[in-house]
Amino acid sequence: MSDPRPAEMEIEGPKRSIWRNLSLTWLIPIAALAITLLIAWQSWAERGARIEITFENAAGIVPGETALRFRDVNIGLVEDVTFANDLSSVRIGARIDNIVAESLPSDAEFWVVRPEVSASGISGLSTVLSGVYIEAAFEPQEGAEATRFEGRDTAPLVRPGMRGTRIVLRAPDGAMLSAGAPIFHQGIEVGRIETPRLLESGNGVIADAFIEAPHDRRVTTSTRFWDTSGFNVNFGPQGLDLSVGSVAALIRGGIAFDTVVSGGNPVPSRYVFDLFDDETAARDSVFSQSIDNAVDLVVEFDESVRGLEAGAPVTYRGLKIGAVNALGAFIDDVSGEQRVKLRASISIDPRALGLEDDTAAEAEIITFLSESVQDGLRARLASQGLFSQSLMVELVTIPEAEPAALGIFDTEAPVLPSVESNVPDVAATAEGLFQRIDDLPVEELMEQAIATLRSVESFAGDPDLRAVPGSVSGLLDEARGLIGSEETQALPGELNATVTALREIVEDLREAGTAEKLAAALDGATAATDSVSSVATEITAATEEVPALIEEMRDLVAKANALQLEAFVDRATALADSADRLIASDATQALPGEINATVAELRGVAEDLRAADAIGRLMSTLESASAAADSVTGVAMDLSGATEQVPALVDDLRRLVETANDLPLEAFIEQATNLVASADRLVDSDQTRALPGALTRMLDEARSALEELREGGVVENTNATLASARDAAAAIEEAAESLPSLSAQIQSMVGEAELALQGYGENSRFNRETLSALREVQSAAEALNKLARSIERNPNSLLFGR
Amino acid sequence: MEDAGTAPRILTAKQAGLVGCTECGRVHAPGVARCTRCGTRLASRDTASLQRVWAWLFAGLVVYVPANLYPMLRTTLLGKTTESTIFGGVVDLMHHGSYGVAAIVFVASIVIPVSKFIAIGYLALSVQRRVQMSAHKRHLLYEAVEFIGRWSMIDVFVVAILSSLVQLDFAASINPGIAAVSFALSVAFTMISALSFDSRLIWDVDVGVNENE
Repeated sequence: MSDPRPAEMEIEGPKRSIWRNLSLTWLIPIAALAITLLIAWQSWAERGARIEITFENAAGIVPGETALRFRDVNIGLVEDVTFANDLSSVRIGARIDNIVAESLPSDAEFWVVRPEVSASGISGLSTVLSGVYIEAAFEPQEGAEATRFEGRDTAPLVRPGMRGTRIVLRAPDGAMLSAGAPIFHQGIEVGRIETPRLLESGNGVIADAFIEAPHDRRVTTSTRFWDTSGFNVNFGPQGLDLSVGSVAALIRGGIAFDTVVSGGNPVPSRYVFDLFDDETAARDSVFSQSIDNAVDLVVEFDESVRGLEAGAPVTYRGLKIGAVNALGAFIDDVSGEQRVKLRASISIDPRALGLEDDTAAEAEIITFLSESVQDGLRARLASQGLFSQSLMVELVTIPEAEPAALGIFDTEAPVLPSVESNVPDVAATAEGLFQRIDDLPVEELMEQAIATLRSVESFAGDPDLRAVPGSVSGLLDEARGLIGSEETQALPGELNATVTALREIVEDLREAGTAEKLAAALDGATAATDSVSSVATEITAATEEVPALIEEMRDLVAKANALQLEAFVDRATALADSADRLIASDATQALPGEINATVAELRGVAEDLRAADAIGRLMSTLESASAAADSVTGVAMDLSGATEQVPALVDDLRRLVETANDLPLEAFIEQATNLVASADRLVDSDQTRALPGALTRMLDEARSALEELREGGVVENTNATLASARDAAAAIEEAAESLPSLSAQIQSMVGEAELALQGYGENSRFNRETLSALREVQSAAEALNKLARSIERNPNSLLFGR
Repeated sequence: MEDAGTAPRILTAKQAGLVGCTECGRVHAPGVARCTRCGTRLASRDTASLQRVWAWLFAGLVVYVPANLYPMLRTTLLGKTTESTIFGGVVDLMHHGSYGVAAIVFVASIVIPVSKFIAIGYLALSVQRRVQMSAHKRHLLYEAVEFIGRWSMIDVFVVAILSSLVQLDFAASINPGIAAVSFALSVAFTMISALSFDSRLIWDVDVGVNENE
């Protein structure tokens, strides 16, 4: 290593050209530079346009963070926050996208969106986390490129680009107005109001409001706005009326509008509307305020006009057509003596009467009114409501009013004649009503009712009345004992035997060819029956009157029921007792046995008859009977004619019953009672008790007589008797012919009886008295009924005596 | 170095008329094109080395500018987006009292890259011009630059990891900014620049200096 020898070596010097020697590596930094420059240029180009917005303060705005938004899209960022030159405001510098900046007009509005909690809701909630941002609102305008703006403190009511109508509301005070309060139309929120501000004169406030399209079409010059904030309590003739708007409106206030009358014109922007306290006032204002061509009239009143005031409505048939303008008094000395009259001047809206609102309307109304006054149109004071003391002027048509004319003068308004009002004084009427109720003799009525009830109770408790059922029961027992006796039981057997004997007689008759005769006789009888049938039909027709008759009879019975039956019942009871005793007597018990024996005798006679040659006689007799039947048929025909009189007869009969109905039945009952008493005495007498014995004896005699008959020449006698019967039938035939005249006589007799009974009829003193007595009883019952009802409703009245 | 004084006595391979392989270290006679052992192309000195060093260094410098001006991280926390540059991040960390982390970020992202630029530039210049620093010291400097270069990517790794981990949509999310790419490129370019430097040139100059003396 001490002495190394260098090798022989060609060392190439850096002789080559610098360009030929240049490395390709240099492309890398060139590319890097290019890319970096490109990025830098791009960043600069995208930086956006700078704008400056002036705010009163910069609460929440952070440079580099606070964004600018347009339609909720970020369009830029706040760059810096500086003061204006005089420190009076804050100047916000911001970069916004070039595409936005190109179209930014100078009237663009910027405001800071902050979280806000109000009665109508919470807004800007997203800014709680992300911080505030600046909202921009503008109508894009190509090439505007404005850069300096005035920021707003609050969000604008109307953002540029919103369609609608801006109006101004005027109110006496701002208590009901708060910024952002909604405006409702038919309950739909259609707009908002801005912060109200005082008028320069200081006597009212105005607030800008905005009605959104398309609802702004509803706003015309005849639209009225009213306040709906809070709730509205109205106590009127319709009762209690409580109306509450939406909850938001309750807290924050609200305004509603409606177009009260048609025919308004579209409003220009910033048209001023008055704000009314409530809907009624708003609606009424149409009449009181906007009557351009009102027709003025004067009404003079003689009476007090207390309760009538300027602004009170004027109605015509219930429709409000105008209002009272003014009230005044003047001295009327036209009639010689001086009298103070009250004069009300009223205005009538021509439109309310359906007339055009032009100058010709006044003349038309005057013409119409003067014609109406001639037909009885008058002005009159009327109460506005049931409990209201306020009055209104009412135009009514009173046909019977004194003739008057519409007083037309040159200098003053036409005078409409008036009539006295009939305003009811409710209090006085009610007092009178109570006084009358107080005067009613309730106590006396009660005493009478109690006495009546006591009488009824004593009648029901009468021991005699209670004894009646017992007596009747005893009578029934006795009757049952009689029917159950052996003799009575044996009667059917005897009767059976008798029937057998009779059947044998009939068989004999059949053998003797009586059938043909009988048939002929039956034919005649059939014809007679037909006639009778027609008679019956007529009678049926006549009986249609019967129900009415029955009604009358029922009335009669009802009256009879009402009669004093006490004594009668006593008597009847006694009679029943007597009858009971009579039936219980031995003689009565023996009667069936006697009857039994008599029947046996009768059977013997029949057997004897059969033995004799009675048949041939019978045949001739039947012939005669046939002829007699024919006669009967003729009679029936006549009778048919006669029965046509039957309805009249029934009528008469009904009248008879009516008359009987009206008869002094009390007397009759007395008589009946006496009769029954007599009958009682009769039944109770010894002779009556002896009667069964006599009857028995009589039956014994009859039986012995029959026995004698059988023993004697009965058959011969019978033959003779049949001949006589034939003669008798012929006589009947003759007699039947005279029947119609008989019936006519009967009819005339009935008519006389009717006349006689009518004597007791309607006009008799008895009848009148009875009727009046019944009416009194009825009215007493009604009074009692009312009293009972009122006591039922108000039991306290017994305690308080009214 | 205690033997700095003996430096003039160092005999380089070039002075000895030999060519050393840069990969395996075998010494060949001049004229041999490829290393007979490993096949690497042989050259006594890489004449284009300095050009490449300057080119890469320049590229690294260019991209280092946006790496510092543009945001490194785009942090979105509850809808609120914060963009922070490298230096801004360091300042923020200091404001939050994290001085240690701030120091690490500052050293790793600013001190080291800037030092590397200076060191590489100095080394490249020292080959062509006469400098005070001895060849040994310059060689040590080169070694240090080469060693540290690979650790300069620590910032980029942090950004990459954070970006992939913190993606909670609205609540919080971190996205790399343009600076992250620029910084990574800058680090890569300076590393390539350092690798491009033919460290044998250091000694040539040294020899020349000694010869002139």
